[in-house]
Amino acid sequence: MWAYVSTLSVPKDGATAEECEDAAVVVPEIPSDEPTDGPVSVAVADGASESLLARPWARLLVDSTVEAVRAKPEVLHSEAGFARVVLGAVDDWDVWLADYVAERERDDRPIKWYEQPGLERGAYATLLAFHLTDVGLWHAAALGDSCLFQVRADSLLRAFPVETAVALGTSPALLNSRNRDDGLIASNAGVAGGDYEEGDQFFLGTDALAHWFLTEVEQDDCPWEVLRDLSAAGSVEDFAKWVAVERAGGRMKNDDVTLVHVDLG
Amino acid sequence: MAYSAEISRVNPTCFVFLVDQSASMNDPIGGDTPQRKADVVADAINRLLTELSVKCAKEEGVRDYFHVAVIGYGASVGSAYAGVLAGRDLVPLSEVADNPARVEERVKKVPDGAGGLVETTTRFPVWMDPVANAGTPMGRALQYAESLVSKWLVDHPGCFPPIVLNLTDGEATDGDPDAAAAGIRAHASADGAALLFNLHVSAGTADPVTFPDTETNLPDAYAKTLFGMSSVLPTDMRSYAATQGFSVSDATRGFVYNADIASIVQFLDIGTRATDLR
Repeated sequence: MWAYVSTLSVPKDGATAEECEDAAVVVPEIPSDEPTDGPVSVAVADGASESLLARPWARLLVDSTVEAVRAKPEVLHSEAGFARVVLGAVDDWDVWLADYVAERERDDRPIKWYEQPGLERGAYATLLAFHLTDVGLWHAAALGDSCLFQVRADSLLRAFPVETAVALGTSPALLNSRNRDDGLIASNAGVAGGDYEEGDQFFLGTDALAHWFLTEVEQDDCPWEVLRDLSAAGSVEDFAKWVAVERAGGRMKNDDVTLVHVDLG
Repeated sequence: MAYSAEISRVNPTCFVFLVDQSASMNDPIGGDTPQRKADVVADAINRLLTELSVKCAKEEGVRDYFHVAVIGYGASVGSAYAGVLAGRDLVPLSEVADNPARVEERVKKVPDGAGGLVETTTRFPVWMDPVANAGTPMGRALQYAESLVSKWLVDHPGCFPPIVLNLTDGEATDGDPDAAAAGIRAHASADGAALLFNLHVSAGTADPVTFPDTETNLPDAYAKTLFGMSSVLPTDMRSYAATQGFSVSDATRGFVYNADIASIVQFLDIGTRATDLR
C-alpha cells in the first residue's frame, strides 16, 4: 500500500514559529510528494501553554515515542504498552533537563525564581501515536486531546480519542515529564485500531484543528476535503493563510495548529 | 459570549490591586492566628504577583499577558510598589517579575510524606511592604483605579475586561464607596464590563467566607457593603472555581472574607492548563 504523508504546522497568532508548542514526527521521513510503501509511524504532541518547557517536552515525547513504536509496534496495542513508552520519555527528559539547567548556568542565565515552581512541577503535553502496518491494519494510542480521524468513502469512519467537538475543553489529560506512575498513565490513556483500504485518509491533528474538524462534521460538512487539498499542495504558507481565515471567522481557536495527513489514496 | 476574549501578549489585560494602608490596618484579623491586617494584605499582594508571574512564566521570561498596578490608599493614594518600580502605575508583568524590591527566604511547613510536616525554605519575592497610617480614602482609591481602567480600555478595547481587586478592612473614611465601585464596573471592553473583586480582612471572629453568592451569612455591614460592590464571577471563572472544589452558583461574587484570594489568579484562562492526571 502506497502512502503519501505530509505535515503542516502553524503557531498561534501572536507567537513565533520558535514558540510553537506542538510537535509532530513521521517515520520514514520522506517528502510529501513522494510515496512510501512500508509501515508509517507518526506521533503528535501538544505542549500545554501554562507549563514551562512545553515545547522541548512535546518534541522529546514524539521522538522517543516514534523510536519505540518503530522498534516494537505492539506497544500501541495496549494502554500498558503505551505507558511504558511514556516512561522511557520521562527517563530521557531527566537527562535533557539536567543538560538544560547546566546550559543556562553556563550562559549566565540561571533559573529565575518564577521558573522554579514550573520546573519542579514538570512540563505537560498531550500525546497521540499512530502506526500503519504493511498488512492492512493500523493502531493508535493517545492521552489527551490530540486526535486521529479516519475517513473512508467520503465519510468519517473513526475519531479517536475524542469523538465530539464539545468534549474538547481547555483542561485535557496531559502527560507530565515527572510522572512515573505507569498505572495512572495507562488508566488515562486509550488505544484504538482497525483496518485500512486503498483510498482511506488519516488525519492527525492537535486540539484546535480537531475541534474545527469535529464541528464541521457535526454540521454535515466534509472537513477532509479542504485538508486534503492543503496537504496535497504542501505549502505551509497556504495552510497558515487558511488557518488565519478560520480563526478570523471564529471557527478555529487561536492555538498552535498541527496536521499530519496520511493519504492512501 | 462575554468574558471569553483571549488573554495574550497581543491582547493583554490589566490587573489593578488596591491596598488599604490606613491606620486600622494595624489591628489584627480575627481567627486562630491573629496577624496584623497590613501584613495579611501585603502578603496577599506579594503572593498574587508571584502567582501571576509563575502562571505566565516561560523559559524565555514572563510573558506580558497582564499589566499590573498596585495602588495603596491611606495617607495618600498612589503606587505602592517598592524598589525600582516605585511610583509606577500599570507595569508589564515581565517587568514586575524581574523587579521585586527583594527576594526573602521564608520557612514553610510541607508534608513529609509520612503524615507529618517538615520545614523547608522558599523564595518569597516582595514588591510591597506593609503600611498602616491615616484614614481610609477607599472612594478616592476606587476612582484612581477607574481612571487606570478607563485609560487602559482606550488602548485595549477588545481585551478581557480589566480586573480590580480591592484588599481592605472595609472601613472607608471618605464616604460610601458604592458609587465609585459602580464607576469601575461601568467601564467595559467589547468582551464585558470591568470586574471588581474584594478581599475583606476583618478583626471579626466569624468563619472565613470564600466566593459567597449571598450576603445573608456575612458577619457585618462592612462585609455586606464589600460583597455588594463585588462583581459576579463570569461563567468560565465560576466553572473553573467549581472544578477546584469551590461551591458556586450563578450569583457567586468575587469576594472573600478573612480567606485566601490568590486562587483567583488560577481562574483566568491563558491557554491549556497544566493539570495532573487523576
